[in-house]
Amino acid sequence: MTESRERTTRRRERARSKGWLTQAFKQAPWRIQVQSVGLFLAALVVVLIVAGVYLSISGQAAAAGVGAYQLNFQRQNLERQIADRKAQIAILTSASTMEQRASEMGFERIDPSQAVYVVVPGYAGKQSVVLAPPPGIVESQQVMIKSAYRQSLWDWLFSGINRLSDSTRGGNE
Amino acid sequence: MNLKNIPRYKILAVLLTAFSVLIFLQMIRIQTSTSVEYLDEWAEKYGVEVRTIQSERGYIYDRWGHLLAGNKEVYEVGVELQFVKNPSAIAAALSSLLGTDYAKVLAEASTPYDPGSSVYITLADFVTSEQITEISNLKDQYEKGNPLGEDPALPSLRGLTWTAHLQRIYPEHTLASNVLGFYTYYDRDEGAGYFGVEEKYNELLAGIKQEVLISLDPYEMQEIPTAPAGASLILTLDREIQRTVENILDQAVKANGAENGTIIVMNPKNGEILAMASTPRMDLNTYWEADNIFTDGTPFNKAVSQVYEPGSIFKILTMASALDAGAVTPDTPFNDTGSINVGGTTIFNWDRGAWGEQDMIGCMQHSLNVCLAWVATELGPTAFYDYLNRFGIGHRTNIDLAGEEVYPLSVPGDPMWYPVNLGTNSFGQGVAVTPIQMLMAASSIANDGKMVAPHILQAYIQNGQQYNTTTQVVGMPISEKTADTLTQMLATSLEQEASDALVEGYRVAGKTGTAEIAVNGQYSSNATNASFVGWGPVDDPQFMVYVWLEKPQSSIWGSVVAAPVFRDVVKELVVLMNIPPDDIRLSIKGK
Repeated sequence: MTESRERTTRRRERARSKGWLTQAFKQAPWRIQVQSVGLFLAALVVVLIVAGVYLSISGQAAAAGVGAYQLNFQRQNLERQIADRKAQIAILTSASTMEQRASEMGFERIDPSQAVYVVVPGYAGKQSVVLAPPPGIVESQQVMIKSAYRQSLWDWLFSGINRLSDSTRGGNE
Repeated sequence: MNLKNIPRYKILAVLLTAFSVLIFLQMIRIQTSTSVEYLDEWAEKYGVEVRTIQSERGYIYDRWGHLLAGNKEVYEVGVELQFVKNPSAIAAALSSLLGTDYAKVLAEASTPYDPGSSVYITLADFVTSEQITEISNLKDQYEKGNPLGEDPALPSLRGLTWTAHLQRIYPEHTLASNVLGFYTYYDRDEGAGYFGVEEKYNELLAGIKQEVLISLDPYEMQEIPTAPAGASLILTLDREIQRTVENILDQAVKANGAENGTIIVMNPKNGEILAMASTPRMDLNTYWEADNIFTDGTPFNKAVSQVYEPGSIFKILTMASALDAGAVTPDTPFNDTGSINVGGTTIFNWDRGAWGEQDMIGCMQHSLNVCLAWVATELGPTAFYDYLNRFGIGHRTNIDLAGEEVYPLSVPGDPMWYPVNLGTNSFGQGVAVTPIQMLMAASSIANDGKMVAPHILQAYIQNGQQYNTTTQVVGMPISEKTADTLTQMLATSLEQEASDALVEGYRVAGKTGTAEIAVNGQYSSNATNASFVGWGPVDDPQFMVYVWLEKPQSSIWGSVVAAPVFRDVVKELVVLMNIPPDDIRLSIKGK
């Protein structure tokens, strides 16, 4: 009976001593509150930063898309204008116009008997027109738009992870 | 509660949280909005655009790069009904600037806007850029006086829009029109090339036309599909030679009172057509006039589409065959009595005269029908028609121009062949050819026995690369020796005859032809086809010229009306082709 009382007393003393230690290291409630709010704010800021970056990238992609449409439209305009200018030049230099201009400037058609022929060493005569290079040069058919302009942030992230895992797997094999 | 007692970090936390919550709520609100179905529908309807991708039609150049067919910028003018403020102002403006019908435009511009059916109406098309500038200036002027078109009492061109597109144009107008053909540009959906090169190479020139779906969502940006321009063609035609030949032809037709005429200039060594002129011609920019110009079945290009009995120029094929087969030589004597019986029918000379003792050069020089009929009988029908077959008579040349015609050659065994045909065919009657067919056959004589395929395409440019065509030798009907012998015979016969075809300083070979035209089954000596085929310089032929005048009135004889035309063409050709006179050329060659 005496032994059991002693054991109870020692247990109480140990419990008392533990409670004292817990009390000694516990933070003040206001500090815990600040920490919680801080952590919440930090998480919120991280989310906002990610959202901001995502928005920025998306915005750039959208702007690039619109820019591409505008450039395409501009290119079509320029192609039409080039075609139009070629036609105008052709009209201004048409055979009838040139003959009229030559006539106005005092030129007249030569008679074969009046022609003087001079031998020019090395001159092969007038050559037929070459308006484009001959075949043989294989043009690359690669996609012109960089993938950065075609991927969302998530696409980029996942493709990066995929590449990384592929390379790791490849290395093990 | 005093805010001063609340820590700043708590205020910041609340604000940021509130901001985040608002964003989140807005997302939920958008997703659950009553308009979500409408937004989905709108996105589905307008999220993509159906766009017609149409290649620019390829250009056509002459051999030196002069543009013969191109494209110019024109505009379609229309109204976007949603934005129209003052239909009467639009009608009045277009009426005065474009000459459109006021009432019609007013009615169209007054059409109520209906997103389902009435959104845009075309008011005018193929408007020039100068006219568009005027319309634009007027629109700006109205806009300044009546911003946003809010005052209905003041004019406003709001809603009036214009869109650029291309229209086919032929800068040289009528030049080489028979060769080029035309493109029906007014039909923007179903336009196509007709006649000549435009029809023959329509698919190559047109490129591609397709409808594609293009996403308007910039996030779904993809490479916008483009249609590469149609292939451009570089023809063998020489613009200066073509123009010169056309001028000479027009003068010849007019001076001789001929119904029509045709001249072809070809390089006998490679078959390149340097010029191909035919009457009538037309301004290709007003292609709808074709039906009024080519009436009564008149072919668009007689050089390839009109078969006719060539007459005596066909004798060069008969003589070439006989020489090649060894049936005759240049010195073979022939006593011309003025007539010969072939297959039970008597054949006479062109003048019904008897020319006495002749050799083969004399037969060609005087163009004796009796002699050539005799030559054909000496050769025999089997060999004669075999040679004609080898010369390509009765077959298409397959020249790269639309609408080539051919007349079948009747040979022994055919129901339409009679023994007399051997005699008449020998001098070009009872047999029909196109000018290009005859020219191709004769090219074998001018080109050491090798017959080349006539062609008009020198090169084409596709995807930025130029592909040149090559010479095609389609046969060797006669030997080189025969070709040279006959060329010398023809040159000598022209010289002995003092022909009008001769050109000072240049030795040329050739043959005249006069063919009677059958009218109601009877040959009429008053209506003839006058022809000449010749080439030069004899020692190194660089050009062949074919002349054909239909029903000349000044004289019925080819030697009188066609030979001088050949001479006129050659006189210009030697300058344009930089061919020195024979003495100079041979001395240079000797050095």
